[in-house]
Amino acid sequence: MGRRRCRATGALPQAIATLSRSLPAGPSPEIFRRAKFDRPEAAPVLWQLLFRVLSPPAADSTWFPLAPEAQARVVKSALHSLGYPRPVLAQFPEGSRELLLALSWLLARGPLLEKLLDKTRLQLGDQLPQFEHEALGSLGPPVLHVETEGPMDLRRVQWLMGKLRFRWRHPIFSQQEQCTLLGKIHLYTSGCHSHQNLGHLSVTETEMLRDPESSQQLLQALECENTRLEAALEWRCCELVFWQWMDTVLDACPVEGPSVASQPTVLPMISEHGLGELELIEQELQALQEELQEVAESRRAAWEAQVRGLGRGPEWGTTRKALQESVERELAALQGSWEQSSRSDQLHRPHRLVRSKEGAPGPQGLRAAEVIRMLSAQEACLKRMLHQLQSQCQQELARLSGTLPDLIWILAPRH
Amino acid sequence: MSIVTVQLGQCGNQIGFEVFDSLFSDSHCSQGLCSKRENEAYQASCKERFFREEKNGIPIARAVLVDMEPKVINQTLSKAAQASRWKYGQHACFCQKQGSGNNWAYGYSMHGPRHEESIMNLIQKEVEKCDSLSGFFVIMSMAGGTGSGLGAFITQKLQDQYSNSLKMNQIIWPYGTGEVIVQNYNSILTLSHLYRSSDAFLIHENDVVHKICAKRMNIKQISFSNINQVLAHQLGSVFQPTYSSEGSFHYRRNPLGDLMEHLVPHPEFKMLGVRNIPQMSENSLAYSTFTWAGLLKHLRQMLISNAKMEEGINWQVRPPLSGLPPLGKMSVNKELHFNTSIANLVILRGKDVLSADVEAFKDPALYTSWLEPVDAFSVWKTQRAFNKYEKCAALVSNSQFLVKPLDMIVGKAWNMFASKAYIHQYTKFGIEEEDFLDSFTLLEQVVASYCNV
Repeated sequence: MGRRRCRATGALPQAIATLSRSLPAGPSPEIFRRAKFDRPEAAPVLWQLLFRVLSPPAADSTWFPLAPEAQARVVKSALHSLGYPRPVLAQFPEGSRELLLALSWLLARGPLLEKLLDKTRLQLGDQLPQFEHEALGSLGPPVLHVETEGPMDLRRVQWLMGKLRFRWRHPIFSQQEQCTLLGKIHLYTSGCHSHQNLGHLSVTETEMLRDPESSQQLLQALECENTRLEAALEWRCCELVFWQWMDTVLDACPVEGPSVASQPTVLPMISEHGLGELELIEQELQALQEELQEVAESRRAAWEAQVRGLGRGPEWGTTRKALQESVERELAALQGSWEQSSRSDQLHRPHRLVRSKEGAPGPQGLRAAEVIRMLSAQEACLKRMLHQLQSQCQQELARLSGTLPDLIWILAPRH
Repeated sequence: MSIVTVQLGQCGNQIGFEVFDSLFSDSHCSQGLCSKRENEAYQASCKERFFREEKNGIPIARAVLVDMEPKVINQTLSKAAQASRWKYGQHACFCQKQGSGNNWAYGYSMHGPRHEESIMNLIQKEVEKCDSLSGFFVIMSMAGGTGSGLGAFITQKLQDQYSNSLKMNQIIWPYGTGEVIVQNYNSILTLSHLYRSSDAFLIHENDVVHKICAKRMNIKQISFSNINQVLAHQLGSVFQPTYSSEGSFHYRRNPLGDLMEHLVPHPEFKMLGVRNIPQMSENSLAYSTFTWAGLLKHLRQMLISNAKMEEGINWQVRPPLSGLPPLGKMSVNKELHFNTSIANLVILRGKDVLSADVEAFKDPALYTSWLEPVDAFSVWKTQRAFNKYEKCAALVSNSQFLVKPLDMIVGKAWNMFASKAYIHQYTKFGIEEEDFLDSFTLLEQVVASYCNV
């Protein structure tokens, strides 16, 4: 496939067409043109596209149609949480030019196309289930939500909690069952695969053998994916034209105020501006470190002044020792959790499940024992966090009940 | 998903046999009033839950049999082998040579720890043969020594080892005038321990089932076998496959989970009672027809008036009218009191079941103030008839059914405890007075919670 040189005239429509071919359900180039002129008919399509791009991965696969207002809300909140610099999008449903700007901002800031292609990738093997979890760092104070229409009987809340616990088990049960059945399929088809390292068939491959119809469908899906991949590659060559055009779109916007004018132009990835940026960052980090040192010094001096007055008897020795130990424990826990989150990045890449004989020299990839170890460590960490949050809640409740003079607080037995 | 049954003690093993027999004969019954394909799906679902298959074809019950004496287990095994339609696993039983002497403490503190490993190993083996485990069904009595003491111990160990699995205990409530002097002690100790480790109790009272045999089945000489068969019929009508939702044609996969989700999510309210109509001897079956309207009307009144069977129902009891002040605390002595439900599940099986109208069960007056009928009431309808009954309606209810019997047992046990009668038999094996007091406290709390509903 040779490199296509994009010429000046006719290059723009081609670039836009390539972009829309590489996006999932991409809008036609005509929509882009209309959006530049802020035409209302382009808006719904762009809202839908943004929703598709920004909605969390789980929703994407089921793709149940939300009401347009709900879609718009999701898009706005997602853009806001990503730090979209332009003021909140104009009222729905107008504002197709703003939508276009939002789309191109998303394209510019990160590997959007690659992420989208990755999300919709066709897998032929049986995949390790993706483990998604929040960053393990945040441990803020418990947020107490007190919003109900009226007084609610505590028993009803307990009832609903119990129901939730029972329903929780459903996905666990079905996953256990899926695992057992996968194990059986892998066992029964061992020796059938042509590829040496794999040795047995996956569910998709077994389906293909059983039912030739499905193999046709699979082929079509693969061809679609290929088209999108090719379009994405082409896009890399043509995108400069698109960005030049986007500058004109930005210029076409009415001037809104000093805050907008002072926004730096949206730049593509940092690698194009290399070292200059890095030096800037280094300087900023240096300044930050000096600042921190100053603040730490002053606080330490203040604390020492405070503490010098207090006694130095034998009881202080034990207290200090206890404090040291607890600080060390907390530090170790924090370090542990940080290490976990950095190592567990491996788990987020897709992995194919392969059953192999014990002791056989394994090809590259994670071993099940290692994954189990990583997950157990994560589980322990999360349990510790849960425990901590629970005791914070209990302390808060005890404090609240202490303010009511006639109330006796009896803790329920642990389940 | 599969259920592993643990049959404990004399009572548990005898009942367990009848339950499996009833489930098997029903699933292979030809009078299901449905198409062949439907019947096959029903059979397959029942099989997945309760039986497993080996190479030569006879289904094996997913059960572990435990008793401290060999007699009953041998009888059970031979009965199954004789009928030769299904059987128990070859290595699925555990028994010893000496009994427990009706001593709860002996069962809990001596037999339990001593034989813990062997019994849990047996259970583990049975669990491994399931593709996916829905939970455990433990059949035991409350009054004896093995079933009750060892049962409480084993349930606790199941909670420790399989904390993600569900546990339901089928408890046999002893006769009021039972032969075991210390049965009230055994009962309160069992219930209080189970309340901490089990998810739900399905309770059957011997007195009640006895009456059903006498009045409805017209049996002159009532043996334990008759009682157990009635019991098995009731349990079968609850546990046989049902459709997973209105209009669906798939049988639900997780019977225990669905049942518990609807009935026992609240940790203080775990006691379930079962009512089943119609109940009659097999001879009379052929000559009787029923309508759903009639059956449901009777079932509803049985629920409201706490009647145990379809005869002798007190039709005077009515739900409180809305707008009137609430009835306040329930006095345990009042006869005419209305039975308030926390949650109900109605299971209907048979001909024209889709036309059955259950609106009367959704009356908010039947339920507590803190649950809407939409949360509190569920109905499962299945076309396929059960056990040759053209129409069969079962009610599993979490309501004030068992408050009076429980209160009575606690009262009697307390009276004995106050005079320290027979306590030394328990303290000898490590159950201290403290444990008794804890049990009393817990059960008083349960009675109070149910009364204040």
